[in-house]
Amino acid sequence: MSLRDFGPNELMFLIMATRWTIVLALIAFAGGGVIGLIVAAFRVAPLPPLRWLAAGYIQFFMGTPILIQLFMAYYGSSLLGFRPDPWAAAAVTFSLNGGAFFGEIFRGSIDAVPKGQWEASTALGFRFLPTLRLVILPQATKLMLPPTVGFMVQIVKTTSVASLIGLTELARAATQVNTVTFQPVVVFGTVSAIYFMLCWPLSLYAGYLERKVGQGLQVKTRRPLLLAS
Amino acid sequence: MQTALQFGPVFIHLDTLLMGVVQTIQLAVLSILFGTVIGTLGAIGRSFGPRWVSWPIAAYVELIRNTPLLIQLYFVFFSLPMLGLKLSSNSAAILALSIHLGAYATEILRAGVESVPVGQIEAAKSLGLKGYHIIRHVILVPAVRAVYPALSAQFILQLMGTSIVGAIAAEELTAIANNLVMQTFRSFEVYIVIAVIYFVLVQAASLIFAGLSRLLFRWKT
Amino acid sequence: MPNKLKLVLAGLAVALVAMLPAAASAQTVDEIIARGKLIVAVDTTTPPYGFLDADLKPTGFDIEVATKMGEALGVPVEFVTVTSPGRIPSLLTKQVDVVISIFSITAARAIQIDYSIPYAGQSAVVIAPKSTAISSHADLVGKKVGLTRGTGEDGLLTAAAEANPGIEILRFDDYSSLLQAMVSGQIDAMGGGDYGEIYLKKAQNGDDFEQKYVLKTFYFGIGVAKGNDNLRQWLNTWLFTLKMDGTLEALSMKYRNQPLPALPVF
Repeated sequence: MSLRDFGPNELMFLIMATRWTIVLALIAFAGGGVIGLIVAAFRVAPLPPLRWLAAGYIQFFMGTPILIQLFMAYYGSSLLGFRPDPWAAAAVTFSLNGGAFFGEIFRGSIDAVPKGQWEASTALGFRFLPTLRLVILPQATKLMLPPTVGFMVQIVKTTSVASLIGLTELARAATQVNTVTFQPVVVFGTVSAIYFMLCWPLSLYAGYLERKVGQGLQVKTRRPLLLAS
Repeated sequence: MQTALQFGPVFIHLDTLLMGVVQTIQLAVLSILFGTVIGTLGAIGRSFGPRWVSWPIAAYVELIRNTPLLIQLYFVFFSLPMLGLKLSSNSAAILALSIHLGAYATEILRAGVESVPVGQIEAAKSLGLKGYHIIRHVILVPAVRAVYPALSAQFILQLMGTSIVGAIAAEELTAIANNLVMQTFRSFEVYIVIAVIYFVLVQAASLIFAGLSRLLFRWKT
Repeated sequence: MPNKLKLVLAGLAVALVAMLPAAASAQTVDEIIARGKLIVAVDTTTPPYGFLDADLKPTGFDIEVATKMGEALGVPVEFVTVTSPGRIPSLLTKQVDVVISIFSITAARAIQIDYSIPYAGQSAVVIAPKSTAISSHADLVGKKVGLTRGTGEDGLLTAAAEANPGIEILRFDDYSSLLQAMVSGQIDAMGGGDYGEIYLKKAQNGDDFEQKYVLKTFYFGIGVAKGNDNLRQWLNTWLFTLKMDGTLEALSMKYRNQPLPALPVF
């Protein structure tokens, strides 16, 4: 075995591993988004048991560390007869976890839609689900966008935790490359830069969306120029 | 092969787990304290400081908030020694966690600071108060009160963030749980118990923060 | 249910099923040959048994043993990377056919899985810089000792720490973090395999590392799912031939720069 300097080969390896980070993030986004819609629908449903179920689900997934959820999925599913590998465990965990966070985000924006809309819809004879689908969600969508994009940044960063169950994404590739180069400053510095390039544009976009949504709702406050004068 | 859940082997080691809880709380409390101090200084520097102060602070915030905590942990623990600074696992964990929270706290508190009506500050100036006093008496408390929900939510996230410091060999609840799994081979049972413990910790923390807010922000605006 | 919702749920179900790995449960020799590939669990962060070469492909003692196993069966090998704690679960869930990943033979593990006869062995040792004087557990008092969680060294050094208060144990999740900590000077000594210091020597330009004292000799076996006597018997036969024709010894010199200890059988 040879120790090498961090060079183009190693950089390429890191970039290739970034693919898996992106794939995992997209799975979390898609899976979490779908589950989140269902959870949000339950959260505002007219049936109390559904509301409690959703509330409990959200509390559990938001109130325990995602690493523990990952461990439970990875090591524990043999009890239930499933056969996870790190990928399946990570995909399921991130989707369920994302579902809780998205559920809260979607519910928040659903709640922001004026109650009058629900009442008018009922008066027109619509039941719960069609109301949600045709009347409320379209209006809530604009409000959901900034926190959803903001949460995407969280998802990308959280994929790094999947390295701790052996999934080969960017963070794990970082430790692997470090083992053959022993140049942690360069390796982790480069990896930080890659994550930054993935996340920062999303963060900026989320900020932009937030400003666009907030334009009609807020008056800008002036920053005082100097404290001492 | 485990076909039935057996919690017995886990409960025997409850004392070890409790030690882990203590260590987790220590990490969380210390990093929250330091992180909030960093955040306060950062928010003030960002909002009121000259360009050569506010710009590096903004860069620090963007850098930390757009990179994973795990990488920040690795960097502090493995890279700093190469640059001369060797810290123990726990110290490195506290440092990285504090720097991490500091960035988020800076942003949150900055929003709070900027939400204080300009009129308040102008009134304070017209009364002859100088910078430091204005910050301390006029800005700080309303700013914190304004963003208290966001801030305490971030603190709770910090508590859960402590679960990954085992990656640099710091000891806290999750790392101890992993040790226990190695010993007893009862992975699912151990993690269920750990999940419950974290859940209880989070609920307790939420209650504490709610109580604190009633204590601190007794008067109306 | 609205049609669109049905579509979405169907898509989700398909995606979930697609994520379940394809029938990995072929386990006997015939089934593996019929399936057309051999699935082996390895760890690429444990040099010189499993690591990445200059082209960042898996290589090492364990990897070569796995490759030869595939050749003997006449099927290609599919490598699945696992971490140290993930080895037993990968067999329990029949995710892989065998585990070849510095899998020390212990009675506790043998409750959950079965082992082949040893194909390699090494001593777990304490490694530290040449300049540090350590010759027994007592010398570790007041020092920071690193190890990989769940390994043989973990059990032994933890017991030593309980017997000699003042030893600070740092548990890392994987071997590469442990090595890095040693190189950075974050720990004063480490528990590892007896090849460790060769590797570390190349890493640190300054101080040389050396083995201080032996903790225990471990033997590595190929792990199979419990009850898989069919595969295990074939493995024992095959490993016997590898021992007799000197293949294992050659691999040991190639990757570990030292001969194998005597490999007893059971």
